[in-house]
Amino acid sequence: MRHEKRDYMDERDRTAGAGRNDESGDPMSTLSALAARMDPVPPAVLEAARATFTWRTIDAELAELAFDSTFSDLALAGVRGGELGPRLLTFEAPQLTVELEVSEVGDARRFVGQLVPPTAAELEIRHPSGATPVTADELGRFSADRIPAGPVSVRVVRSGHDPVETDWITV
Amino acid sequence: MGDVAGLVAAAARGDQEAWNALVSRYAGLVWAVARSFRLDDADAGDVSQTCWLRLVEHLGRLRDPERVGAWLATTARNEAMRILRRSGRQVPVGDGHELDVADASQPAPDRGVLTAERDEVLWRAFESLPARCRALLRVLMADPPPTYEEVSAALDMPIGSIGPTRGRCLERLRKNAELAGITVDAGDSA
Repeated sequence: MRHEKRDYMDERDRTAGAGRNDESGDPMSTLSALAARMDPVPPAVLEAARATFTWRTIDAELAELAFDSTFSDLALAGVRGGELGPRLLTFEAPQLTVELEVSEVGDARRFVGQLVPPTAAELEIRHPSGATPVTADELGRFSADRIPAGPVSVRVVRSGHDPVETDWITV
Repeated sequence: MGDVAGLVAAAARGDQEAWNALVSRYAGLVWAVARSFRLDDADAGDVSQTCWLRLVEHLGRLRDPERVGAWLATTARNEAMRILRRSGRQVPVGDGHELDVADASQPAPDRGVLTAERDEVLWRAFESLPARCRALLRVLMADPPPTYEEVSAALDMPIGSIGPTRGRCLERLRKNAELAGITVDAGDSA
């Protein structure tokens, strides 16, 4: 019985898809070749993936996504009602929390945010086509309009601290 | 497959070539995971870009760099689910529809049928599979082929059930394809 389990976990056979061996009759090989013709990764997507490396920074702390109202009970109730309200996101770094409310305005997004603890800061709303500079007031409040839909990350620069960058997320 | 952890470490130090190698190795998997949720080109493109951007931020922070493929698969799955939820569409969990029985009544294509036409028929047969089968097979079709751990992460499915489910799904696909006049058997060069 153990042998049956080992069958597909064999050290020489760690892959689950095609190419598990060189036999041309493997149906997964046929299907993998089919997908390569019918649904290949678009060249622009590959190019964009390589280009994301330019966003690499070495000075910043990471604020990880800690809450997304998309998966909260409230959001689920909203789905049943047919309409989702603004999306609430929370990113947490050891010394700073970034709270974001994201509203859809056509194809663009409006951000209203709060830094916790409240502090003045220079922010960049980063998106693949550039970065939108924003200032947080002394109460830690900030807002930004016309952010393009798609991946975004917020970089927060405060005097006397390392910069903080949030996880990238699709809005 | 190369030393994946080595590539991650080199990329974390700023080596663009190492980064490109990671993209070459896993872009197909990330794309396949997005497609397994039936996302369109634009949404699948967003999922892909968000995954890679997130990896840029996490390069020096991964707990287990050797398993970056599973990390990407999980990230792609989560992002795809967010997009589906926001758009009010259903996350595919239940059974889809079988290939329309009417298709079976169509004449079987000639043996010399063009590859493109044959591809269309076989792809339709694949897309007509129940949601769970379609999702699993789409991820398994990624090039280069994913590991069991990566497939498990992409589908949130126990590793032990991947092999048996794959077998059942291939059998269903074979039946769908045969109804449409195509065989997917051994020796069948596509």
